[in-house]
Amino acid sequence: MQRRTTEEKIDVWILLERIKRGDREAFTELVRLHQKRIFLLAFSFFHNREDAMDIVQETFLRFYQKIHSFQKGKNFQSWILQIAKNLCIDHYRKNHSQRKEWRSDKNIEEMNLPSQDNHDSNRASDLKAIFSRCLENLAERQRMVFVLKHYNQLKYKEIAEVLNISQGTVKSLHFKAVRNLRDLVNPYLGGVQ
Amino acid sequence: MKECKKINKDLVAFLYGELQDEKQKQILSHLKECPSCQSELERLRAVQTEADSLNKDIKTVMNSVNWETLPAQITETVFGKEAQEPKESWLMSISRVLSQPKLRPVYAALMIGLFLGALVTYILVRSPLQRQAVADLVSYPPDFMEKVELEMARRETLDYLKKSQYLILDFVQTSSEAEPSTWQTEFASQKVKDLLSKKKYINQQLDKFEMAKAKEICNQIEFLFYELAQVSEEIPAWRLREIHDFIEEKQLLLKIKLLEKELKQSKKSEV
Repeated sequence: MQRRTTEEKIDVWILLERIKRGDREAFTELVRLHQKRIFLLAFSFFHNREDAMDIVQETFLRFYQKIHSFQKGKNFQSWILQIAKNLCIDHYRKNHSQRKEWRSDKNIEEMNLPSQDNHDSNRASDLKAIFSRCLENLAERQRMVFVLKHYNQLKYKEIAEVLNISQGTVKSLHFKAVRNLRDLVNPYLGGVQ
Repeated sequence: MKECKKINKDLVAFLYGELQDEKQKQILSHLKECPSCQSELERLRAVQTEADSLNKDIKTVMNSVNWETLPAQITETVFGKEAQEPKESWLMSISRVLSQPKLRPVYAALMIGLFLGALVTYILVRSPLQRQAVADLVSYPPDFMEKVELEMARRETLDYLKKSQYLILDFVQTSSEAEPSTWQTEFASQKVKDLLSKKKYINQQLDKFEMAKAKEICNQIEFLFYELAQVSEEIPAWRLREIHDFIEEKQLLLKIKLLEKELKQSKKSEV
């Protein structure tokens, strides 16, 4: 496993050197290696396919513009996810007011969950929608930590690298995120009180 | 109750299996006895379950993306944009920095400063009293300018005398030779004309500083040059002799030398 990681690191460095020389094939290969991780992060953050696709493309464009600033010895995956994370936050802030307006026509509180008698699949799909809304209501950093842990399945150490904060802060943010989600989600769960 | 509070802090880590074995066992044994902490754990687990339920959606969406063609599309877009956007030169980047909107107040302040400066200068120069004050500020001692002008006149006269001396010497030497008419070249004629115009300029200086002796000699030289300028290309021998005699009679060369010496020695006193 250790050997594989080292090989991957070497590959990334070789690819980066080739990209610096304008090698398109190397760039395509690098996109192929990292596109899913970035999409996963962006989609978990926005729950919108188009937004996520835009973030993926913008991330690789930004990466190409900043390629010379990447320092040897740093974790490339953390670096590119950091770019994606910053873009997600920028994108979110830019469109935040629009989304609030859009959201205001139907608040979480106003969503009527189908009763237990209704079809189970309807209820499950609404619960997912509620959970997505609850996730969006979290503070930016809590939301990012939760997304990186649950959907990108990164370790605390890796999340700390992406967000450029300490592991302790990451753990604390994750704890707060779960507790806040508990408060937001539980009123809509019939079974658990 | 106190223990519950302590356990509650670790429940999230317990749920995610992040605690060490000993701590994990400790919480498990507490949960068996505490229904309140059990229900708290259930609530947290519900969050985890709902979060996991989204994973299915994410997988479905991820399957809808064509990951095989996407890298080529992104590459095309990125390299296409790079090719479209020409790399900015240092001149362009400087102009971009200078044209930032946040610098506008600085430019406005500079413009106001320039305008006020120009206005103040205009008022100072226009007002007669202030003009005098400005003149006083830049004025020199009263006799300074006079000394400068005297020195300039002295130098101009010395220069005139030297050039005249060379020309007269040339004339004297040439006229003593067998073929005197060869002296009257175009070059010498031009020199004579130059010295005559220079004399007109010196005249003002000589009058101003009452350089009487110098003026007398310069006038004699001027007369000589008038004669030389008027003669035609072919100088008759008798005319040549007359001019030659004039130079000797007036002892022009000697006088020039003496005057030169005098001018050089007396830098401060009037000649």
